[in-house]
Amino acid sequence: MLVQNLFVDVDGTLMIPAQNLSFVLEKTGVVKYEDRPVPKLESPYDVLVNVKFTGICGSDVHYWQHGAIGSFIVKAPMVLGHESSGIITAVGDKVSTVKVGDRVAMEPGIPCRRCVRCKEGKYNLCVDMRFAATPPIDGTLAKYYSLPEDFCYKLPESVSLEEGALMEPLAVGVHITRQAAIKPGQSVVVFGAGPVGLLCCAVAKAYGADKIIAVDMNEERLKFAKKYAATHIVASQRESASDSAARISKVCDLGLGADVAIDASGAEPCIQAGIHVLRTGGTYVQAGMGKTDITFPIGAMGAKELNVKGSFRYNSGDYETAVALVSSGRVSVKELITGKVKFTDAESAFNDVKAAKGIKTLIEGVKD
Amino acid sequence: MSDQEQDKLKQNPSFVLRAIKDVAFEDRPVPKLRDDHDVRVHIAQTGICGSDVHYWQKGRIGDFILESPIVLGHESAGTVVEVGSAVKYVKVGDRVAVEPGVPCRPDTIFAATPPWDGTLSKYYIVAADYTYRLPDHVSMEQGALVEPVAVAVQITKVANIRAGQTVVVFGCGPIGALCQAVAKAYGATKVIGVDVVQSRLDFAKSFGADGVFMSSRAEAGVDAVEHSENVAALIAKKFNLGDGADVVLECSGAEPCIQAGVFVTKKGGTYVQAGMGKENVLFPITTACIRALNIKGSIRYTTGCYPAAVDLVASGKIDVNRLITNRFKFEQAEEAFELVKAGRSDVLKVIIEGVQ
Repeated sequence: MLVQNLFVDVDGTLMIPAQNLSFVLEKTGVVKYEDRPVPKLESPYDVLVNVKFTGICGSDVHYWQHGAIGSFIVKAPMVLGHESSGIITAVGDKVSTVKVGDRVAMEPGIPCRRCVRCKEGKYNLCVDMRFAATPPIDGTLAKYYSLPEDFCYKLPESVSLEEGALMEPLAVGVHITRQAAIKPGQSVVVFGAGPVGLLCCAVAKAYGADKIIAVDMNEERLKFAKKYAATHIVASQRESASDSAARISKVCDLGLGADVAIDASGAEPCIQAGIHVLRTGGTYVQAGMGKTDITFPIGAMGAKELNVKGSFRYNSGDYETAVALVSSGRVSVKELITGKVKFTDAESAFNDVKAAKGIKTLIEGVKD
Repeated sequence: MSDQEQDKLKQNPSFVLRAIKDVAFEDRPVPKLRDDHDVRVHIAQTGICGSDVHYWQKGRIGDFILESPIVLGHESAGTVVEVGSAVKYVKVGDRVAVEPGVPCRPDTIFAATPPWDGTLSKYYIVAADYTYRLPDHVSMEQGALVEPVAVAVQITKVANIRAGQTVVVFGCGPIGALCQAVAKAYGATKVIGVDVVQSRLDFAKSFGADGVFMSSRAEAGVDAVEHSENVAALIAKKFNLGDGADVVLECSGAEPCIQAGVFVTKKGGTYVQAGMGKENVLFPITTACIRALNIKGSIRYTTGCYPAAVDLVASGKIDVNRLITNRFKFEQAEEAFELVKAGRSDVLKVIIEGVQ
């Protein structure tokens, strides 16, 4: 039985306190708490972080429920979580950019640094990427986590550790917006008003987009989007994709169509509507992940000479931009934090996310 | 002990720049692999670059100052003799071109840029992913020329040269000549080489240039910038460049060429500064502004340049053997450097054989 941080025997005798209590996905559908060794610093450029807050992503829930995403299959127990912030408790001998006591946002994917993609600066595309909570790499839902110093981003005084845990999804939003090359004065339609879609709206606004339209089938999320960063909201209806696009265009006065469409839903009808709602020469970015193969309006894409890109995680400069956007006040993430649970209640947070309750539920770090 | 026996005891003979104008041969320990991703290369051929000569004579380039001895050389090819346990890219016995600059691991190292040692030793240690296998038919001499070809590839990449474009290249030394050849290989329609030395122009015409132009120095009393403008007009007229060239590659570093280069770039065209001469020059900035030029600097090479360079050499698109005018044995390294320093117009690339 687990009481706070201590393993307690059935007759109430206190056993050894856990060194590095961790929240582990044992196998599909089964999570448990386990004590694991405190990670050692593998390199003199590594640091040890006492994890304080961790947000949950759809991918964490997906591994829990299905045990796999594409070719990444959970074959052995794995610590969950990857959207974290914490306080540095130890540094390797050659660490020079951070120190013990620093409050940091943690970038959870470490690339090889040697392949062509890494050297091009597109390290999110590294074939040998080691990403927290993507099997077989352990995640951040533990008391301690170790990573290289250059994947830790110091949080300014004005940014809380809770907000620090939102840097990861915000970096995702930054990367999507950069792929879309949003410029001041443009119109952007974002399909999906979940955390990523909402953050895309916020970043698009910070980058000067004039019209930011959030589309979703969930009324509550749309209402939130309107208060948060969207200039217009449109509720999805059962209609053809081109009708949907025409309706969005009309209601939001998009003239010949939107400059940019971002899909943060993964839903086939949204993807189709996204292509149709663009003006000629517009840009479409696929961020959402749903069905792997869909019916795609390729004729419209070709005839309208659209730029169609994928967006995956983040790379050079995205985390720095995320921290800068929040510390300068251009993007606010506090509103997205709709719940906080204790580490020992982590499973309930996962259930909430699975039920699409709230926006971001944070799991507090292990208490001493 | 006989000379032969003494030679056998040498571990890793190296050509060292000890201080300004003071070079010497030293025996150094055989270098060890620093980590699982390193390889050790037995260097076979090394070309000499103007920067090597500059460090020898002046002891500094910009902020890089010679403060302690360094091994010279950075344009090399050799054979892999040892590999780290994590190496996947190459194996022992592979013949490779060596890319001499490795960034961010965590230090940024460039061979023969102080304080880092260069490649003029028997052995050199380098990260495996900075070595590039040479096809069997490519010689070690050609392998040593891959580095300057990679420089030319980068310049062309920065200039974004595309098929059908016109290109004027100032300077017909090794880099200028290679830029002309790479521009042609990448589809440029008209490539013009400019220089003040006839023999360089003759070579360029036979190498990669479609046409060459003998430039002139300004006469006494003539305004230098006005003269450069005239030179540009003459080039544009002679080669029917109309408003100007799509791309200008400045590979000389000479102030009059920099000025003429700006004047001969068409409106909206691209000017790339690759040559290094005076650090501060008189620059026609208003012309650059009014013509909405894209002006960029180019330094060394980036991801993809080395593989492209090996391909250009291996496919025969660029015949680098023709650039090699002088060959020296390792023990004659100082003589080789003196020859490059003399700046003779009949000398293009000087190479030094490795320690056997």
